[in-house]
Amino acid sequence: MPPEIVFVGWNHQGADLDLRARLAFTPETAREALEGLFRERILTEGAVVSTCNRAEVYGVSEVPDSFEALAGFFSRFHSVDVSVLREKALSGHGEATVRHLFRVASGLDSMVLGEAQILGQIREAHRRAAEAGTARAVTSRLFQSALECGKRVRTETSLGARPVSVPGIALSLVGRIFESIEECKVLLLGAGETVELTARLLADDGVKQILFSNRSPEKAKALATHFHGWTVPWEERAKAFADVDIVLSATGATEPVVTAAMLKPVLGRSRRRGPLLILDLAVPRDIETEVEGFSDVYRYDLDALGELACDNAKDRMTDVPHAERIVEDSTQKFLGWLAGLSHVETLKTLRERLEKARLDEIERYASKLSRLSPEDRAVVERMTETLLHKILHNPTIGLKEGDASERLTRAAVVRALFRLDGGE
Amino acid sequence: MFGTGIANALFGLVALLCYAGATLLYVVWLRHPQASAGRTATVLAALGAVFNFGFLYVRSLALKTVPYSDLLGSMALFGLFLAAMALILEARHHDRSLGAFLMPVSLLFLLLSFVLPGGGEAKPEMRGSIFAFHVTMNMLSYSAFAVACALSLLYLVLGRQLKGKRHILNGPVSRLPSLSYLERAARTSIGVGVVSLASGLTMGFLWAYRVWQEQHPEWLLDAKIWGSIATLAFYLWVFVRAHRGAAPGTTAKLAVAGFVLVLLSYTAVNLFFSKVHSFT
Repeated sequence: MPPEIVFVGWNHQGADLDLRARLAFTPETAREALEGLFRERILTEGAVVSTCNRAEVYGVSEVPDSFEALAGFFSRFHSVDVSVLREKALSGHGEATVRHLFRVASGLDSMVLGEAQILGQIREAHRRAAEAGTARAVTSRLFQSALECGKRVRTETSLGARPVSVPGIALSLVGRIFESIEECKVLLLGAGETVELTARLLADDGVKQILFSNRSPEKAKALATHFHGWTVPWEERAKAFADVDIVLSATGATEPVVTAAMLKPVLGRSRRRGPLLILDLAVPRDIETEVEGFSDVYRYDLDALGELACDNAKDRMTDVPHAERIVEDSTQKFLGWLAGLSHVETLKTLRERLEKARLDEIERYASKLSRLSPEDRAVVERMTETLLHKILHNPTIGLKEGDASERLTRAAVVRALFRLDGGE
Repeated sequence: MFGTGIANALFGLVALLCYAGATLLYVVWLRHPQASAGRTATVLAALGAVFNFGFLYVRSLALKTVPYSDLLGSMALFGLFLAAMALILEARHHDRSLGAFLMPVSLLFLLLSFVLPGGGEAKPEMRGSIFAFHVTMNMLSYSAFAVACALSLLYLVLGRQLKGKRHILNGPVSRLPSLSYLERAARTSIGVGVVSLASGLTMGFLWAYRVWQEQHPEWLLDAKIWGSIATLAFYLWVFVRAHRGAAPGTTAKLAVAGFVLVLLSYTAVNLFFSKVHSFT
């Protein structure tokens, strides 16, 4: 059985959350699994990609039915019924493996189309496999090519450019209104989980002026202390609108806590700041929709943010054909490189390259060689041919020796040293 | 206009073609932001500005004075200032979106300078640094008010889209700068315009007092001069109230209205109402 690139995995398309949780790898268990796969000679090189949405193994295998062998191994490794793994698995070999990993790296296979985290996760999987010594010539090149493909998709398409989550949309809105979020003064109404999370995100983004206002002043004070902010008495929350750039509200109130009537005296002539962005993340709404009537006030609730997220998701879909073309292009390039790694192909290319060098040198010295008799010239030509054969003798044997992974690694080294994939 | 020589016409024509190409590519970039289109637009705009300058320089050699003592020259200078401001804003904020709105105006004014008749050789009193300073500063102020108008229009468009809550994170609107930037840049442009118009008018008064006091003692009552004073007073008021924190939306509307005043002063008042002070 000639060596072949294979993959097997369980992801959000076939496996439910429970199964994915059971099959998830930590860095340590990923290393253990790879060592086991090497020990049992199922893979001769490989790497594990494990995220909350997928647990996949990529590698080079020489066993006749690699899928069965891999499913059996993971059944024992994770103590999961092998029939379940067989039923829920995605697998492939050769071109299908390459295309699958490149689609994963591009975000085309992600639960949220175009999500960017996967690139970092693939980079990390490759790094861990390289450290463990399981990512050799083919796997390393496969993962590097996948990373290049993913970057190309993100550069040449807008697949990952527009956010599709509520925090991402809210942050984009801030960017549409303000030059820099660091300079913004933010008022947070409420003291629940959403407000705390927002305060953390704002502090991480470098926002230095955060005001907290809550019906229970103790909670507001605790948040203000933790995030080095200030408190605003709940009764004066409307007045604070005059002096802030962004208001985020997420209380558990059943009635609006800020009305247009409360804001009328505040957002009129007395306001001495630029635009005001109001993000109402409460259900039911905290801030009356009528406040949108004030000049330079932009109010967004969860419905509006959700609609913007839908628009962006639709926009991402329009770029899918372009991204698929990039994946196909990268796949064919990788397969071209892989085809060149067979020892026959490598030797053929190497012989051609050296023969060309030999003929070029004879051509270069043609005028000097013309002084020789035809017999002497024939001797020189034979001598250069013999020299070439002797030089190639040991590499020819070396490229045929060892297991599949060693042969592929040597072929890759020879191709790199002699620059057989382009360049003289 | 071709009387000023082949070189002059050639510079003008190349500048015109560059501005046209830059306008087209800036618009293309705004719709589909490809780096190559954006870079080429910037290069063409810069080349256009260089050739626009060449056009004015060759003209000044032929006229033996500043090349914008007539309507033709002043419009070409207006085009140059606008292109330069668009490039400065682009370089300072790494943002090409304004080019799609400012370059067409540069193109229009340079085109107008082609179709309008030239004023012929300048009168002797139009030579000298005070006159040159007066015209240059006034044209700079008009260009600054044009930029403020464009930025304010964009502010109003973006503000309207944000109120409407749709298509603000994708499409051409998503490539506009932020509201705060548009507001701040418009305010700065108005400030530059006010300072340059004030200094330009001061120089104009000095020049007029020396040259017109005896021949045209009624010069101080000229409609063009009062139009310019009204423009200065209006923009000064807009600038002060904006600086004191007035609603940016209202300031944007006033900046757009103010530019209508500039255009009236520059065209209708200049051509039809002004007696002593009119470009030809």
